[in-house]
Amino acid sequence: MTRRSWRTVVGVLLTAVMLFPVYWMINVSLTPADRMRKSPPDFLPTAPTFEGYARVLNEQLPYFATSLVVASGTVVLTLVLSAPAAYSLAKLRPRGRRPLLFALLVAQMIPGIIMALGFYGVYVSLGITNTLWGLIFADSTIAVPFAVLILTAFMAAVPDDLVQAARIDGAGALRTFWSIVLPVSRNGIVTAALFAFLWAWSDFVFAATLDSGGSLKPLTLGIYRYIGNNNQEWNAIMATAVVASVPATILLVLAQRFVASGITAGAVRD
Amino acid sequence: MKSSPNTRRLTAALVATGLALSACSSRPGGDSGTSGTGTFSVWDPYPQFDGTSEWVKVIRKCGAQAGVDVERQAFDTTDLTNKVLLAAQQGTAPNVLVVDNPVVSTLAEGGVLKSNQDTGLDASGAAPNLVAAGQTGGQTYGVPIGANTLALYYNRAVLSTAGVDPAAIKDWVSLDAALARVTAAGKKGITFSAIGTEEGTFQFLPWFWGAGAQLTDLSSAEAVSALELWKSWLDRKYAPNSVIGNTQTTSWQEFATGEYAFAVNGTWQLGNAKKAGFEYGVIPIPSRTGGVAPAPAGGEFVTVPAQSGKDEEATAARIANCLTSPETVLATDTALTYVSAVASVQQQQVAAQPDFAVWVDAVKSAKGRTGDGLGTRYPRISQPLWTAVQAALTGSKSPKDALQAAAASAK
Amino acid sequence: MPRRQAVGWAFLLPLVAYLLLCYVYPLLTNIDLSIRDHTVRSFVHGGAPLIGWDNYAKVFADPAFGPALRNTVVFTVVSLVFQYVIGLALAVFFARGFRLSVTLRALLLVPWLLPLIVSASTWAWMFNSEAGVVNAALTFLGFGTVDWLTSPDWSLVAVTIANIWIGIPFNLVVLYSGLRNIPAELPEASSLDGASRWQAFWYVTFPLLRPISGITLLLGLVYTLKVFDIIWIMTRGGPSGSSTTLATWSYELGFGTMLPRFGPSAAVGNILIVLAVAAGLLYVRLQRHQETA
Repeated sequence: MTRRSWRTVVGVLLTAVMLFPVYWMINVSLTPADRMRKSPPDFLPTAPTFEGYARVLNEQLPYFATSLVVASGTVVLTLVLSAPAAYSLAKLRPRGRRPLLFALLVAQMIPGIIMALGFYGVYVSLGITNTLWGLIFADSTIAVPFAVLILTAFMAAVPDDLVQAARIDGAGALRTFWSIVLPVSRNGIVTAALFAFLWAWSDFVFAATLDSGGSLKPLTLGIYRYIGNNNQEWNAIMATAVVASVPATILLVLAQRFVASGITAGAVRD
Repeated sequence: MKSSPNTRRLTAALVATGLALSACSSRPGGDSGTSGTGTFSVWDPYPQFDGTSEWVKVIRKCGAQAGVDVERQAFDTTDLTNKVLLAAQQGTAPNVLVVDNPVVSTLAEGGVLKSNQDTGLDASGAAPNLVAAGQTGGQTYGVPIGANTLALYYNRAVLSTAGVDPAAIKDWVSLDAALARVTAAGKKGITFSAIGTEEGTFQFLPWFWGAGAQLTDLSSAEAVSALELWKSWLDRKYAPNSVIGNTQTTSWQEFATGEYAFAVNGTWQLGNAKKAGFEYGVIPIPSRTGGVAPAPAGGEFVTVPAQSGKDEEATAARIANCLTSPETVLATDTALTYVSAVASVQQQQVAAQPDFAVWVDAVKSAKGRTGDGLGTRYPRISQPLWTAVQAALTGSKSPKDALQAAAASAK
Repeated sequence: MPRRQAVGWAFLLPLVAYLLLCYVYPLLTNIDLSIRDHTVRSFVHGGAPLIGWDNYAKVFADPAFGPALRNTVVFTVVSLVFQYVIGLALAVFFARGFRLSVTLRALLLVPWLLPLIVSASTWAWMFNSEAGVVNAALTFLGFGTVDWLTSPDWSLVAVTIANIWIGIPFNLVVLYSGLRNIPAELPEASSLDGASRWQAFWYVTFPLLRPISGITLLLGLVYTLKVFDIIWIMTRGGPSGSSTTLATWSYELGFGTMLPRFGPSAAVGNILIVLAVAAGLLYVRLQRHQETA
């Protein structure tokens, strides 16, 4: 019993150390502008101001909505593209799939800036900069290769007997995919969806390149507005940051377990 | 793994929100206006102004006068050049472009911009030293919308406790003496921005030019003396080490703490200075041997990029002329806290705000960065220069070695 | 089974089209940019002359190349090692449940969720020379202050610390679930055989973790090599190039100055991709070697 509470104490300490920057973010979000550069800084928000949060509510809500739409759209697009492909790679196993898998691995490695530059040229000529669809499409490139790899690993774990049985019952490939393989792979799907959401939610490079000119900006650009302009308002920056982490935190806490098993499956089956 | 109903609900919820949200997102987002559709696009580097601002109202009014709808997009200054180049490559450059002055000659020589002669844009009302940044190959491209420059802000209270008279600061020696007294009195000396970007070069230039150095010779003895001045401030703790990473914004925030005696900063901080909560003053940056150092002219040009037809270019020029006309530009320059490029508007600005006079004078003696016949070579010189400043201030090279390396790579 | 082949590829078709559109096209554009001598005029109006490897030669000869490559390697390797070791230590610690362990483990994931621009700004502010909390703590503990972001000796350390912090939760989650998948009897049996706890971990648990460690490190490598936001926001690769990596250098050449140098920028980007592909191939080989061994 004492051993166990000893672990709890150490665990709390470790967590406190790891989360100190997060605490600091909250502390700064409550610090009034004139105390911001005090040296040494205040370790506790002794005279908290909610000015930063008031500004977030006034100025950032549209950005918040944009981010939500873009991140959700990215999730849908990513799943629509990667789930059928993963099914094929895992269960139908057509010839020539190995180079494709390697290509996916390589695709993950291309730096976002290079992609963004390429996209910008195309988007401008199509006239789709500053559109939600454009950004969703670009953001999906961060997630699709990862989603295909994870889902392939996941679907490979579905017993072949199950697929065979469906086939004997007269189900075609599409039916098998839709009503057998997909439901069984839901942990993998949650994992892929969660990552797609988080990456799109926190994307900055694509947003800055493709969406910075119009009114439909995501939250990361909303934060950047406070950093980039003639005034660096830390309490507003940090207040936005705190608000920005809320949906992501909720999602991750809810889905944590499935994520873990999703990635493990990926590793074991690779 | 325990299969929980939560998962299914979560997945369903995720997918459902995604579908619902993306279904309503198919409405057209901010359309990037293309030429020839009756909608004219205006790009500017003023993201701080949103749709309700005076600036955007002015744009709409000028569009209406020219008989077209305008679609305005704002970018970060550093992004704008690239965006314009990429757009021009695709044949969809904006109809009217508001762009930072040192870039104008580069865009002009790249064939992105049309000359005023071709379009009917008129720069005759603007001060010649400001228009110079838009001149290359005997042609003028665009009209300055206004200008800003650098000067020395000081904190009255800090100077008076240290017994320093700001009026006595006429050259580097008297400035050094003032800094010595301020730091001896337990206060902080001076803050500026020496970041490794164009901002760093912009802030270094008054000292560089004030020493008598030329951008055509980065390693001259005069140039070295300017860099040695900055380095000595860091060595003697007159300036904080943070200047190496400071943008002009973060440098201003250091000054706004009230601890610093001086800050090198621009016209655009006037609004913030009034909110700082202490009394401040402004003096010109001194040159090495006395007198006012030439400070670089900042600020944007309103330009007309090449478009599909003469008619569009003429309409775009009408919008640009309207944006820079004395009647409309006062409101814009007031919003930006810029000094107008037009003499009559400058008088109105000083009449409305007497302490603006020092800035009007500073702009009159300001120097274009692309002047001295540098034009498109300026960016190739500016980058090695800020690299040298960083190398010297961090102590990784001596000022002399750093500038010699810069001169070599600027060739 | 030709029909099954066809059905298989039919399911893959959208993905293949997507890959061609979204990856191959930008990649080809980038390669094309890197083998031409672009001026602003030729970039806009076309007609830039082909110059083959000149941009690459220029990049290799640039005095900034050596430090950028070295910084990339140091940043990546140090980040990976610390992320992995700390993540594994935490995973082992949390593997034995205790009171609050589930809550604490969930809380530890928070660094992962913050948009990079947020974490980078927070770290930049904490590392500020004048008003940063890190220096305040160092002063309090009786050490001297450090110019984390403005000294060429420390800037790479500062951005690496921030990157390690961001990467720990990912390693923790994956390694934790890996540990849970190892049957508890195995290490226990070896403990009964008289092995110390450390020996049980080192000779039984750790080898069993090898496949999952492999994928963790590979994914970490892929994402660390292309890290750009953190460094750009914290130091812009400075001061004087001391925290410039290939990714930030490529961005600086293409976007960081008034006059974009598209050719060299694209060349640096391609060099980075080649490095990443090489690392990927190495991983595939190692894995195959392991399977046959």
